[in-house]
Amino acid sequence: MRKNRTDANFEAVPDDQQVKAGVPDRALVERMAAGEERALGALYDRHGGMAYALALAIVRESADAEEVVADAFGQVWRSATQYDAGRGSVAGWLATITRTRALDLVRARGRRTRAVERAAQADPDGLATPLGTPADRADRQIERHEARRLVTRSLAELPEPQRRVIELAYFGGLSQTEIAAELQEPLGTVKTRMRAGMEKLRGSLAPLLVGGSS
Amino acid sequence: MTDHQWTELTAPYALGALDPEERARFETHLADCAVCRAEVRSLKEVAVLLAESAPAATPPAALRERVLREASRVRPIGARRPGRAPWLAAAACLVLALGLGYAYLRERADLQGTSAALAAKSDSLDARDALVATLLSPDLSTAGLAPTGQAPSARLYWSPSLRRVVVAVFHLPPAPSDSTYQLWAIAQGKPVSLGVFNTAVDGHLTAAMNVPAGLTFELTAVTKEPAGGSPQPTQKPFLVGKVSPAD
Repeated sequence: MRKNRTDANFEAVPDDQQVKAGVPDRALVERMAAGEERALGALYDRHGGMAYALALAIVRESADAEEVVADAFGQVWRSATQYDAGRGSVAGWLATITRTRALDLVRARGRRTRAVERAAQADPDGLATPLGTPADRADRQIERHEARRLVTRSLAELPEPQRRVIELAYFGGLSQTEIAAELQEPLGTVKTRMRAGMEKLRGSLAPLLVGGSS
Repeated sequence: MTDHQWTELTAPYALGALDPEERARFETHLADCAVCRAEVRSLKEVAVLLAESAPAATPPAALRERVLREASRVRPIGARRPGRAPWLAAAACLVLALGLGYAYLRERADLQGTSAALAAKSDSLDARDALVATLLSPDLSTAGLAPTGQAPSARLYWSPSLRRVVVAVFHLPPAPSDSTYQLWAIAQGKPVSLGVFNTAVDGHLTAAMNVPAGLTFELTAVTKEPAGGSPQPTQKPFLVGKVSPAD
């Protein structure tokens, strides 16, 4: 998600050259808008792993996750002409599409998301391990690795009840009311935890945020 | 609600964790509140980063081929075109608004002062993308559907290249469960159904619908029909509009 810091160095790369690792994401999207399938392949090589991991954190079966990712990249491809950098990073755009598709698929099948299943299986003390743990990190790309590490660590450092309501909302697709029912906690408590947790995350993730804190 | 209470909804809104009614109310507030908009924009950035915390997983090698194979069957829709019509500035605002997760339709200059905030009926990204793509297409036509009675009104945006319309309906009470509203394209005097719809409890709706291939039409109309819709109108239209270029 980090803004590519080398944009200026690569803007002059001619279209007919190989897609290089340093080409900014949004330049890839521009080439996709012109119908260049190779640019889609390059975007997949960069963010396919993130999209697949995200899909798999929401759906349960790998076949479902593959369907979600294929659909999400299909949507990115079809609507590449509509991408507006002012709305956020390409990776963020892809993540939002992937999450929505994954939650739609789970709902269409009348199932519960993986995150909700995990919450239901939490031990009697109410402790659940974070969805992503430091041991999961296997990224080879340095920048993405750093972003992943900061996000994973920031989430892990949240008080467990705050982290859990945020994960149930983002990966579980649950509303505050549904989270309160799932955890058998008062709605007011859920609201307070969600707000406090998001505030803390905004502080700890500040280096990754384009607009900074409001 | 006080301003403070609205601010408390920004975090759950950014996470998509408001219940539908609460979300609709908040989106109406967002249309008027720059402070909450900025807060939502910032918190949405945080929410999007949560994707990075998903446990790492390696996609199967065949998935890359599948993505490319499926893409090779379609071309990206539309094309960037310089020199867009002035009204597109308004549409660009709409895109930004949709980026925040709410539909905020501001009528064009000739209708200024009658701007209205709409809570999108569906929050699926697909529906919103279809809506935005249609509104941004270079060959857009539009029709104001004038009431033959008084209260309800509607505006239709039609992109022949995308074969899609976006219809925005205002102040139309939801149809009871045994009936539905139906949108018609009238081509050379012959009505062709574009789809059925119903409004939300607040009487508003923004929706994208597909247009049959090859269909061009001069007029558009809305009727009330039995649930499920009708192959041909069974009632007199209560909203009718003439299509003209949106420039």
